[in-house]
Amino acid sequence: MSPLSAPSNVITAGAGLLDEALAAQAVPTTPVDWRPPLPGTAEALVKVLADPRRQAANELAARRLTSARPYLVGVRRASEVLPSGTFLHAGPPITWERASGPMRGALIGAMLLEGLAGDEHDAAVGLAAGEIALRPCHEHASVGPMAGVVSPSMWMFEVRDEEHGGTAYCSLNEGLGKVLRYGAYGPEVLDRLRWMDTVLGPALAATLERTGPIDLRSLIAQALQMGDELHNRNRAATSLLLRELAPAVVESAPARAAEVLRFINGNDHFFLNAGMAAAKVSTDAARDIPGSTMVVAMARNGTDFGVQVSGLGGRWFTGPAGVPDGLYLGSYGPEDANPDIGDSTITETSGLGGFAMAASPAIVRFVGGEVADAVRATRSMYEITLAEHPAYQIPGLGFRGTPVGIDVTLVARTGLLPVVNTGIAGRVAGTGQVGAGLVKPPAEAFTSALLALSGAVSDPFE
Amino acid sequence: MSTEAVLVRKGAYYDSVQLMRVSRALADTPGVEAAMVAMATDLNVTVIRDLGFTVPEAGPGDLLIAVRAHDTKAAVAEADRQLTTLERPGTATSQPPLTTRSAAARGPADLVLVSVPGEHAFCEAHDAVLAGLPVMIFSDGVPVAQERWLKELAEERDVLVMGPDCGTASIGGVGLGFANVLSPGPVGVVAASGTGAQQVTSLLDWAGAGVSHILGVGGRDLSAEVGGLSTLRALRMLDEDPATDLIVLISKPPAPEVARLVEEAVAGLRTPVMSALLPTDLTEAAEQALRVLGRSVPEWPSWPGALREASGKTLKGIYAGGTLSLEAAAVAGQGDFVDYGDDAYTRGRAHPMIDPTLRVEALSRAGGTDVVLMDVVLGHGADPDPAASLVPAIAHTPAAVVVSLVGTLGDPQDLHRQAAALRAAGAAVFVSNAQAARHARSLV
Amino acid sequence: MTVSTRARRTRIHVTGAASTAVRPVLESPRRPARVIAAFPAGVYLEVRTDLEPSVIAVITGAAIRLPNSALLAGPLPHVTVGDEASVGDRAIDLGPLSLSVRRWWDPAPSLAPAEPGSLAGAAAILARPAEPRPGLDGNGAVASLSAACATGWLLGVVTAAEQLIGLGPGLTPSGDDVLAGLLVTLRHVGRAARTERAVWLADWLGATVTFDARTRTTPLSATLLHCAARGEASPEVLAVLRGVTGEQALEPALNRLRRLGHTSGADLAQGVAIGVRAVLSLGGRR
Repeated sequence: MSPLSAPSNVITAGAGLLDEALAAQAVPTTPVDWRPPLPGTAEALVKVLADPRRQAANELAARRLTSARPYLVGVRRASEVLPSGTFLHAGPPITWERASGPMRGALIGAMLLEGLAGDEHDAAVGLAAGEIALRPCHEHASVGPMAGVVSPSMWMFEVRDEEHGGTAYCSLNEGLGKVLRYGAYGPEVLDRLRWMDTVLGPALAATLERTGPIDLRSLIAQALQMGDELHNRNRAATSLLLRELAPAVVESAPARAAEVLRFINGNDHFFLNAGMAAAKVSTDAARDIPGSTMVVAMARNGTDFGVQVSGLGGRWFTGPAGVPDGLYLGSYGPEDANPDIGDSTITETSGLGGFAMAASPAIVRFVGGEVADAVRATRSMYEITLAEHPAYQIPGLGFRGTPVGIDVTLVARTGLLPVVNTGIAGRVAGTGQVGAGLVKPPAEAFTSALLALSGAVSDPFE
Repeated sequence: MSTEAVLVRKGAYYDSVQLMRVSRALADTPGVEAAMVAMATDLNVTVIRDLGFTVPEAGPGDLLIAVRAHDTKAAVAEADRQLTTLERPGTATSQPPLTTRSAAARGPADLVLVSVPGEHAFCEAHDAVLAGLPVMIFSDGVPVAQERWLKELAEERDVLVMGPDCGTASIGGVGLGFANVLSPGPVGVVAASGTGAQQVTSLLDWAGAGVSHILGVGGRDLSAEVGGLSTLRALRMLDEDPATDLIVLISKPPAPEVARLVEEAVAGLRTPVMSALLPTDLTEAAEQALRVLGRSVPEWPSWPGALREASGKTLKGIYAGGTLSLEAAAVAGQGDFVDYGDDAYTRGRAHPMIDPTLRVEALSRAGGTDVVLMDVVLGHGADPDPAASLVPAIAHTPAAVVVSLVGTLGDPQDLHRQAAALRAAGAAVFVSNAQAARHARSLV
Repeated sequence: MTVSTRARRTRIHVTGAASTAVRPVLESPRRPARVIAAFPAGVYLEVRTDLEPSVIAVITGAAIRLPNSALLAGPLPHVTVGDEASVGDRAIDLGPLSLSVRRWWDPAPSLAPAEPGSLAGAAAILARPAEPRPGLDGNGAVASLSAACATGWLLGVVTAAEQLIGLGPGLTPSGDDVLAGLLVTLRHVGRAARTERAVWLADWLGATVTFDARTRTTPLSATLLHCAARGEASPEVLAVLRGVTGEQALEPALNRLRRLGHTSGADLAQGVAIGVRAVLSLGGRR
């Protein structure tokens, strides 16, 4: 187009009247459905957008996030990774006093598992007295679903980013029903964890030594095309992983192979934890880029919902965790639900889960709603993300890449919050899972991150 | 017996033109005596109080619904129904862009028009410049430091920023904001004043000369703070445009250091440049342009008042166009002039070129010893039938009324019909604002 | 006394944009018109008038913007060949619609002065064989036209043109498209290259082809020849001319032009090629 010729299409942001005046002249327009930004963010937005580092920083952050090549390289006992006297937990930092039912239940279970308390009461007393340091998984290159509690005798997936060299860990999935991550700590829970420590962990470690690194990026890309969104639906990914592992399991642990394979096969979410570690190692590659407004972690501890932003290092920005809206198991209802919990929102942070809902029409049966809702959810997320994932594609959207790289400025401008798929934990310690659904993150986590970004830049207008 | 209700909807946002339409439709509903639906800005709260309502605590981010009716419940329900129809219906698979960034990423656009409230305009305009798209910022109230910043970025990205507070532009015949329907022709305009550009270009159109482009730059572009960045770029663009044979620059006198830059730039252009420095007689400027082009200057049409040619004591200017107001004040050399298009009168409500309420009120306050001089600006974006709301007020006022009718024969409002209606109500009508001002002065 | 039995229909008022070429007809008193062709993206109206263009294309955004077009902001009404319409008093009445114009575009905008050397390069690009082939590829009259233009031999030009008017099938016969491409090129590129002889040739050739075009070819094609004689063309042709003078890239514009219609675009491009060669050779002998 030469510099001065009649515009062929005009983007109109604001008064509908001016858009109509163009349409009346037979000039095609692209109207922006503009709304005022989230309250209290207008000044910060201007300052942060004007930060001269921002655009290049975000391009770099998004490129690093989407170019990560996560490989499952091993399974390790947490005692090899964890500092002594420390348990990890999901979400931003939390104290025993502020911890919710399922978080307390999981911590109690870990005390019992590790033999640090004789019973439930002793465990609670010890935890309240601060005998064990409680640290977020995210501070130790780890993530954990739901309560996310990791204690030394648990085993973890080890995932390495072959592109940027990072490593991330995530515990092994226990299955559904009464499980520690939902705050249950009864004998069957502890028995299963002991079996995982003595049988599953060593068998998988030997298996992975035999298989060599497994390409999770490619496995996730395939699972998306098979109807998973990799947060609440992992059936395809689990099947694909099982196919990769099975022969080597038989070879490396012939005596235990049947029970190991049966365990993996019996849990559609077995892959979730490997996928979370893949997501974590990818988002970690995008951390600490000065000026970047991209979210590198979203995580909940059952009390607070926290986010971390690339340009702001390890600082957490939190708001109260909401109660998910979804379908409940059996006779459970919203009154039984605990506020949102878990590090599994790392999947959404890396362009999966709620962001990839359109790839997973079947998901609407877990979270309620219509197939069209799933498509709408994914489409809306392009409005608040910086990039489209080059490998994670959605067949139903013409193989468009999933929306990835949440930008806090876009969240504040559009008022659109990330779509998060999640399981719902019972609010009483020991209950376990009561449902699954969608949860709305608190806006203040994003607005306070934006205000911090604005506080960190010098005023460009002076 | 009618009752009244004033409701506050916290944090509900609608644009002011949409709300004006809802207010009008509501006021026209049978059984409704008075109604106003508006954002609770100070100005709107005052107007609603003036209508006799008691207004509860509310902030500019809240929506006020004020009705006096036989059945207030039904009236409020009607207001809600009207407001619901304003929401864009979303379909299952379509996601409208929520930011200019998203709209630009979708493809075909080659220009951006921003008219969101001024404190938010930076974000949208910034998206446009980063996407490499020229942008017209219609919004006013954008801090000057942000303007300078955007224009510096635009220099880097090699795009034109028109505005902020750019009311009028026309590119290749496409009218943007408040622009008239113009014939293509040899005159390119760089304008720091929207209504100034409308007056000059509509007169050129009357004279058959035609216009290639109007590039608005915003009222502050030639200030020392902004440094004329958009003016200099617009001049270069018009110089390179083969359709433009003469450039007319309409602006307030630039800051001295900026004036020097502009002079240097003009000296380097192949295309002749004519400046009209405000306040000035814009009709004279249009005539000079015609002479430079070697064209004859026509008689500018006027429709002398049919009824009241009676004289008055005081000249009162009630204008929608700031530059037209300044021009008229300068030409008349006397009188009290109010520019209802000023920021102070447009916060949270539509521009007086669209919403006649404030000027109709001003007309109703005029007395028998007043001569009222006012502009009626036609064209894209303006009130589709301004005479309809002004005629009753003009017919009722004891004052003599002189109207400067800025527009072209191609404008959607039908200029002849507007002139006839205004004249029948008793106003004297001129297409030249300067002539209107002279006529008004002669009545005092 | 006559009583009209036809009920007055309420008209739907719509708006749009139009080429200034159709302005004289639109701003004259209302005249009857008739639908002579109807396509999904455009309807051609023949207006009973002595003014040109006498055929007006009412189009949607999907159609080629011929120089005699009025562009609707919305969808076209359903009409069929033979339907009555009217044009004038600032409106086009077609089916239930009454179209008024809110924007005018210039179908004959001036070109920037030609960059030195750009014409020779353009002539070489235009001479390369391309698909689709022009409808009159290898035709003797086209060759004579080209040769006569290059030498500025008016009689030869006129003789060849006489053979080409109306030659070929369709709404716009190939012969007419070649002549139209040639006419606008001689006028605009001639002016941009300051080659008076080319503009002079355009004037005389224009007078020849418009003299009895209405009896020699289809009504639409005749109108388009009138437009071309005045230098009016569609944006696709004008883009190629800007490519010729160096204002924009030539090859993409040329590819877009050649894709228009069955062979219409290729025929227009052939006319442009003849015109550019003529301007080059006439410029050398001023």
